Amino acid sequence: MRKYETVFISDPDLQDQARADLFDKVKNIIAQKNGVFLNFDEWGNKKLAYEINKKLRGHYTCVTYGGTGDLIKELERNFRLSDDVMKFMTLLLSDDVTAEQLEKEALEIENQSKQIEETEKKAVEEKVVEEETSKEVEEVEETEKKTE
Amino acid sequence: MYNNRRNQKGGGKNKFYQRRKICRFCVDNDLEINYKTPKALRQFITERGKIIPRRITGTCAKHQRQLTVAIKQSRQLALLPFVGRPMY
Repeated sequence: MRKYETVFISDPDLQDQARADLFDKVKNIIAQKNGVFLNFDEWGNKKLAYEINKKLRGHYTCVTYGGTGDLIKELERNFRLSDDVMKFMTLLLSDDVTAEQLEKEALEIENQSKQIEETEKKAVEEKVVEEETSKEVEEVEETEKKTE
Repeated sequence: MYNNRRNQKGGGKNKFYQRRKICRFCVDNDLEINYKTPKALRQFITERGKIIPRRITGTCAKHQRQLTVAIKQSRQLALLPFVGRPMY
């Protein structure tokens, strides 16, 4: 098994649903060909350094996965046929990785992303609490001034 | 004495004694050469988009080769331009 990374540029004006369908298609192909899906890194809409298909912006996505050469052929065939994908580039990250190692990595990445989500939630909650306490403090000060 | 040696090597024409530059990637092992970071790579291309030779930037041969590969990969992905200034 080899570890690959594919960066593809999709249409920036795509609707959310259509984009989700595209991502599901990619995941399905990886699963079909017995590949190990690792990570989906969305860089979002970015300005392109030059025009592609007369467009100045593109939505970048980076998929990391493990698989064989057949998987790559199938993925690239689908990218070429699809109208939404403007450009794609596949890179080999490492050779000779076992499926177990990749599955461990996949779990680690999931855990990391969950942790990040939890910390973000906590940060949002803390901000809300801080705002409330600062408002209370202001109210207290105002009442004190009035009594004086 | 050291100065004389350098002048002799250049055949007597090397009037501009250039300070030997250090490869910044050899010094700092944390600096990653990656096609995904166009901001970092932009230091190594000219305004026109051409790759700067290593005798000017001072990088060593090994890292210059890695840089070239990374710059060409990011050009393919429209993160860096082939010609001209980047649009951003």
